[in-house]
Amino acid sequence: MDPTIIKDYELTLRELTFNSKSIIDVLTTIADENKLEAQGIVRAITERITKCIPEQKLYTLYLLDSICKVVGLPYHTMFGNEIFRIFTEIYLLVNDQTRAKLVKLFETWKILKAKNSTLPLFPEDQLEKIGNFLRQAKPRVAESLQGGIVQLSLVADISSLLPIMEQRGHSDPSDASIPQKISALRELKLILLLQQFGQPELAGIQARLTQMKTQIAQDSQANAIVPSNANNSESTPKFTSSQSAPAKSEATAPEPAKPVATVLFQNLISSGLVKVDQSLKKDSKPEYELVLPKHKYSPQSFNTSSASILSNMIQDANMSQLPQHEQIKYKELLKLERKLGTVESFSSNLQNFILNNTLDASTVQVLYETKSLKCSQCGKRFPSDDRGTAMKKLHLDWHFRINKRLSNHKTNVQSRSWYLDTAQWVQFQENELSEFEPSTVKKDVNTRATSTEVAFVVIPSDETNMNNVCAICREHIKPSINPATEEWVWNECMLAPGNNSGRKIVHVSCFEEANRKRGAENDGNGRVKRERFA
Amino acid sequence: MSVPSYLDQNAPTEISIPHGAEWRFEVPYKTIMTLTVKDGVGEIFGTELPNDVALRLTGRKGAVYAPLSSGCRLQFETHPNRDNINTSNEDELVHQYVSTDTVVPQLANLSFALEVVRLQAAADRLRQKTGPKVLIVGNSLAGKTAAAKTLVSYAAKMERVPVLVNLDPKEGVFSLPGLLTATAVRDFLDVESVNGWGGSPTTGATPHIPKQPLVRSYGFVGVSENVELYKYQLEQLGRATLARLKDDDDARVGGLVVDTPPLTMKDIDVIETIVLSFSIDLIVVAGNDRLVVDLGRKFELQISQNALAVVKISRCNAVTEIEESFVRKCQEDTIREYFNGNFRTRLSPLKFDVDMKTYVIYKVARLLDYTSQMAFLPSGDSYTADVEGEEAPQKEESLEKYFVKLDDPNSSNLENSIIVITLVPVPANGVVLPLELLDSSVLGYAHVLKVDDAKQKMSMLFPSSNNIPRHVLIATDIGYME
Repeated sequence: MDPTIIKDYELTLRELTFNSKSIIDVLTTIADENKLEAQGIVRAITERITKCIPEQKLYTLYLLDSICKVVGLPYHTMFGNEIFRIFTEIYLLVNDQTRAKLVKLFETWKILKAKNSTLPLFPEDQLEKIGNFLRQAKPRVAESLQGGIVQLSLVADISSLLPIMEQRGHSDPSDASIPQKISALRELKLILLLQQFGQPELAGIQARLTQMKTQIAQDSQANAIVPSNANNSESTPKFTSSQSAPAKSEATAPEPAKPVATVLFQNLISSGLVKVDQSLKKDSKPEYELVLPKHKYSPQSFNTSSASILSNMIQDANMSQLPQHEQIKYKELLKLERKLGTVESFSSNLQNFILNNTLDASTVQVLYETKSLKCSQCGKRFPSDDRGTAMKKLHLDWHFRINKRLSNHKTNVQSRSWYLDTAQWVQFQENELSEFEPSTVKKDVNTRATSTEVAFVVIPSDETNMNNVCAICREHIKPSINPATEEWVWNECMLAPGNNSGRKIVHVSCFEEANRKRGAENDGNGRVKRERFA
Repeated sequence: MSVPSYLDQNAPTEISIPHGAEWRFEVPYKTIMTLTVKDGVGEIFGTELPNDVALRLTGRKGAVYAPLSSGCRLQFETHPNRDNINTSNEDELVHQYVSTDTVVPQLANLSFALEVVRLQAAADRLRQKTGPKVLIVGNSLAGKTAAAKTLVSYAAKMERVPVLVNLDPKEGVFSLPGLLTATAVRDFLDVESVNGWGGSPTTGATPHIPKQPLVRSYGFVGVSENVELYKYQLEQLGRATLARLKDDDDARVGGLVVDTPPLTMKDIDVIETIVLSFSIDLIVVAGNDRLVVDLGRKFELQISQNALAVVKISRCNAVTEIEESFVRKCQEDTIREYFNGNFRTRLSPLKFDVDMKTYVIYKVARLLDYTSQMAFLPSGDSYTADVEGEEAPQKEESLEKYFVKLDDPNSSNLENSIIVITLVPVPANGVVLPLELLDSSVLGYAHVLKVDDAKQKMSMLFPSSNNIPRHVLIATDIGYME
């Protein structure tokens, strides 16, 4: 690792305050030449995007885009996992013209492939999330044009406040209220993203936020924030004055700000966000708790931070309605989930869990005795309830059919079919192969035979002599393979009328010929018969 | 006392496996072992064995694990395998012992942790969150495939349908060696089949529920032979697999289990391609601490973004050594199983003589040959070519890196090889579009029995008697003799 490269890179990044092709090109080339430092460069760019003023975020995103498209590996993969977060963060903070540019940029990502590869530039799930996000965001943007307060703009406000607060937290660790404020703001932002509010509530929140903003602006004029990272020296225009302002003692200056801001936050925190809403509007329903979003778009981070998805799920789904083995499984998994923690701590706990955890005997049984009916032939297990018993019965029927077919392999000639092509495989429903599906092949034969008028007789599996003759013209009939079902059949034949059981077959053409001769007097009769036997 | 007679009258041996231990066995190809679970529960790499049913194993190294406190009591007896009595030079004794050193508890822990993730994916009402996408890496004989089998089997037992991806061309998973496959596993694996995976849908009966693989052809058994083609094909497979995960809700929740050839940090570009192509979110390293640390460093950023985790599991010691001849025999048997079926399911391949002139035949290119060929080009030539038509030669070259057209197909370059039947019909003008050929998945395989150079005919064995398609063929590097 060479820290000077990253330092230089950060410095150059700060010059990117306008849409400058030359700077972007230079930075792209540096990134190309220093692939070993890729992680540092990626970090520098992401930080720059988070910290610079909204107007300039787009240019840094253009740089990101340029690096990914021109250099490719390893950059596009490194940005890939974050691209949704980066994109949406910018989108929420910028004006409509810039948003249009962002959308244009996003359109190019959807078509472009990564360099030297057939994969898309960014992971498809991330792109899909952005697409969904944009679809959700558009109607709200339109709403804002008709006046009224828009939740998204409030979210943007909060997002712009957050870094300032965070920085203050860094510069002034003595102020214990700041972390609280930050976490409250974060939660408020989440709730705004997740729940639809009425105008009165929004107005209330907006008023508080405006108060906050003016307060902070005053603070920062009175008291220069010494940025821990120099990037922030070019924060929003409001704060440019802070650069020129002399640095005063920081411990005392925020004091006057405290009352107003603290009141707001104490409201938010002590009462929980729900109650803030209720005080604004008496009859508002107290449903603003952090619950899983039911229909609304949810950012990934929310899912991960929620306490226990499983326990929610178990509460959600009426446990008693689930089959018993499922209930046991959920209970056991819930125990494990507690050990593993939420998704954020999941990966760090996972290693320890794999190496050192000893599963309870009851947990291990989820794989075995929880489903206590074991197939005597193959060992497959089924739950002992009614459904399980029925499934086991179907399963045994399947064994029976298969064994019967296998036992007369001398006559039941079978060979392998071709593999599926990609599109077929993607569409393939695996349960088509399951023993619980009624045997579709048989049905298929019947429908095909009548609908396409190609008649054939499936050679019975217990047949020893595959050759046969037409009962009418005495011509030899050779067995052939039906391409659709891949069974051995006598093609263009039908069972002779009045003979359902065996090998007495006739050509369809012969039969019709004979019928025509006969049917001069009783027309149509032959067709009736044919349909009955075909 | 002569050994064969001793084997013939071998009385059943009884084994008791205590709870949490595994009984390891190495059955040579010369011998058939019949194995019957008498009491308790026993499983081979996650597949629970039926009680009181004799299983027939030959040419297998593996272990029966007793997961429950009741332990497992089993019986086995051995018979000579008359099909193989002369073919192999190994000794005919079954080696077997009980060991308490087993990796299965770790795999069970991992399986349940993955099940927690799957439940979370199932709870996602937007159907965006997917189940875990697990990549298994490690040295040779570290137990990668055993881990993959156990993970998919346990998942299937919890009524999940994970997609198993095999990227080890040495192994034929639900198909032949030399290919890369992706298969959704809903049901038990078939421990009796040649390498313990089982059958894909044939026309008729297999004693286990068949699994339907998607097949991309690679054509070599070693990754290094043409790493470019390998990466290309795995990217294609990855794209199809992720599309399946999007389309098929069961597969989305089930996630992926990706088994790999032995890879180390030297092959980091291959590992990176895999991680990317399958958007892997968990790398499981089997028995290689250094690789854990190196990968942790390599993917530091993704790990800090919570997009990836790297964990290790212990080495699986059930199989300590495998000779090259054993691997080769296993590959041959896999190929035989593809055409002829096994002792339970007999298949009838179709022998057919085709006119070579009516086919277009390519051969997989060795990357080494390709690059050395380029080195012979006078530097001036390639320079002028570059300046003139930049688009056209580029495309031509991109196919040559992967496949070379056989202008003179004859007995020396085709006989006794396995040949890929692509999905590309032989074009009327004989010109095959490179991209079409590259993008094609595999319809099936044929075996070239004999080539008659004078008559320009070749005698081929087709797996299906269903009408033989006149498609472009690609000869692989995999040889086979009946």
